[in-house]
Amino acid sequence: MSTALGNLVMAIRGIGSNWLRTLLTMLGVLIGVASVIVLLAIGTGSSQSIEKSIESLGSNTLTVFASRSSSSSGTSIRNSTLNTASVTALSNSLNDPDVKSVSPVVTTSVTATYDGSTYTTSVIGSTASYLAAENYTVSAGRSISRADVTNHAQVIDIGTSVASALFATGSDPLGKQIQLGSSEFTVVGLLASKGSSGLSNEDAVAIAPYTAVQDQLTGESQSFSELLVQGKSSSTLTIAESEVESTLASLNDTTVANLPFTVIDSASLLSTATSSSKTFTALLGWVAAVSLLVGAIGVMNIMLVTVTERTREIGIRKAIGARKGVILTQFLIESTVISFLGGICGALAGILVSRFKIDGVKPVLASYSIPLALGVAISVGIVAGFYPAHRAASLRPIDALRYE
Amino acid sequence: MIVSSGPAAPYEVIDSTRLAPIIALKNIVKSYTMGGVEVHAIRGISLIVEKGEFVAIMGTSGSGKSTLMNIIGCLDVPSAGHYRLDGVNIRHLDDRAVSRIRNKKIGFVFQGFNLIPRMAAIQNVELPMAYAGVKPAERRKRAVVALGMVGLGDRLDHFSNELSGGQQQRVAIARAMCTNPSLILADEPTGNLDSRSSAELMSLFTGLHDQGRTIVMITHEPDIAEYASRVIVLRDGEVVSDRAQSATHAVSYELEPSARYSFGNTGDEN
Repeated sequence: MSTALGNLVMAIRGIGSNWLRTLLTMLGVLIGVASVIVLLAIGTGSSQSIEKSIESLGSNTLTVFASRSSSSSGTSIRNSTLNTASVTALSNSLNDPDVKSVSPVVTTSVTATYDGSTYTTSVIGSTASYLAAENYTVSAGRSISRADVTNHAQVIDIGTSVASALFATGSDPLGKQIQLGSSEFTVVGLLASKGSSGLSNEDAVAIAPYTAVQDQLTGESQSFSELLVQGKSSSTLTIAESEVESTLASLNDTTVANLPFTVIDSASLLSTATSSSKTFTALLGWVAAVSLLVGAIGVMNIMLVTVTERTREIGIRKAIGARKGVILTQFLIESTVISFLGGICGALAGILVSRFKIDGVKPVLASYSIPLALGVAISVGIVAGFYPAHRAASLRPIDALRYE
Repeated sequence: MIVSSGPAAPYEVIDSTRLAPIIALKNIVKSYTMGGVEVHAIRGISLIVEKGEFVAIMGTSGSGKSTLMNIIGCLDVPSAGHYRLDGVNIRHLDDRAVSRIRNKKIGFVFQGFNLIPRMAAIQNVELPMAYAGVKPAERRKRAVVALGMVGLGDRLDHFSNELSGGQQQRVAIARAMCTNPSLILADEPTGNLDSRSSAELMSLFTGLHDQGRTIVMITHEPDIAEYASRVIVLRDGEVVSDRAQSATHAVSYELEPSARYSFGNTGDEN
């Protein structure tokens, strides 16, 4: 219909007639749309970085701790430590078909020294399977082996932070003897950098056979601080969890309910973190929605002013044959065009701002945010324009013409 | 064209042969309350205006002439009485139908020109045709002809603030006649013009009258009323005098050649 195009042209001309006011109105919508996009991008970016750091903790893994609450029950629980018997029991594929590997873990923190340089690092005593379960890869040299564990070999894989603190750049740490406390360990491998996860430095770590760590660093102890259990796949992790619990229960002559151990699922940790970051993103979205609402009120205000200002023009148009619908359409198009242009500019501004790091968070554009913000902007134009447009269209021509 | 398509039509077509008078007012009364006081603006006016007449309605301020003009122009509705415009009873018409009547049957010329600001002359003239659904190319063609006819062929793209009062009023006349209305309704058309522009404008009206158009003009200036073929005088909402006269001022102004262009049957429908 040719009048639709004509209406659009008329609307744009009407908008252009008071460009400063139109610009300020558009600015309201622009800021609203841009803040929706940017804040949602910040929310998405921070939740992605949280997810990433949790994923770097290891995928498909269960961690078994000795729970402290068990001692408060009063009954003495026999054999309630994690030891080699637990590892052997859990590694039995008949009992635990969904468990891929079980790694005993002994952790301690020591000061490492080499040629005058010192660095305090956490030392993890474990087995070769620990590296796979925790997503560590060896970039040079080799990983600790089954034989190293059996032989109580004083060998160690070190993270990049440890390597750069102890060794001068250019020198090869492989084969060097570093001092850990009072013992010496030979560096056999370098761990590839996992990067800082935001929660902790994953590269400030050294991994040695647990037998050697128990002998040399933690003192004589047959128990482990935790067991790292890797499941076969993330979908069967809950099955693996119940298998681990029942195996440990039967091993300790108790029931699953009274199990003196706690089993934590990395997936549940992830989902907790994800849901909290979703709440955070939603909160940011609501804050932005408020500014969009303020923009909408601005559009409505301007349209009301415009209608009042152009009352006489409305009268003329009605006198020369404009129907109610035509006037309504004209003003609705005007408010929609203002909101739409504001929305487009806001989307561009939002995309631009999202390219920069804000408060340490790299924003990630949420794919839904742009159509959402634009859709809301256009709806805002229609809704905010409707009342003023209706008022304009309902004016009696005689009253409108007399208006000074 | 108003076409009766059946009993559902919101108004009746009395006479499709167009022999009906353009304006037929019967016992028109208009009263309204202002500040709690009932004001009788029109106290029973009956009036017939035939096709081709040039009528001047005179009266002092408060005589009811503006109210009458608003009723004739379908901008206001009478409190009582019957009004047929070109055979159509305009009582009980909805917004859509009244808009169409204003659009196709009446061409308005106001005292204050009432051009739409920030629109060029030609766009102002095109506007009623746009509302009537005339195709853009056709309405531009007709607007050019109409503006040429009123002597503004060289000012098509001027905005109203770039035109003198007389020029603006001529744009208004072009706008009023481009839809080929049954009636041209002028409310104090020379009220804001100097005497020279007034004379030019009245010559235009005379030319339109000579072409056979029906013109109803409200004025309080006797020398302007002299251009008309019939003068009706109102006082206190009643007709006190209604006389025919021979127009004496048909002088010195010739319509430009393009004015001989006759608007055909507009035949445009939405």
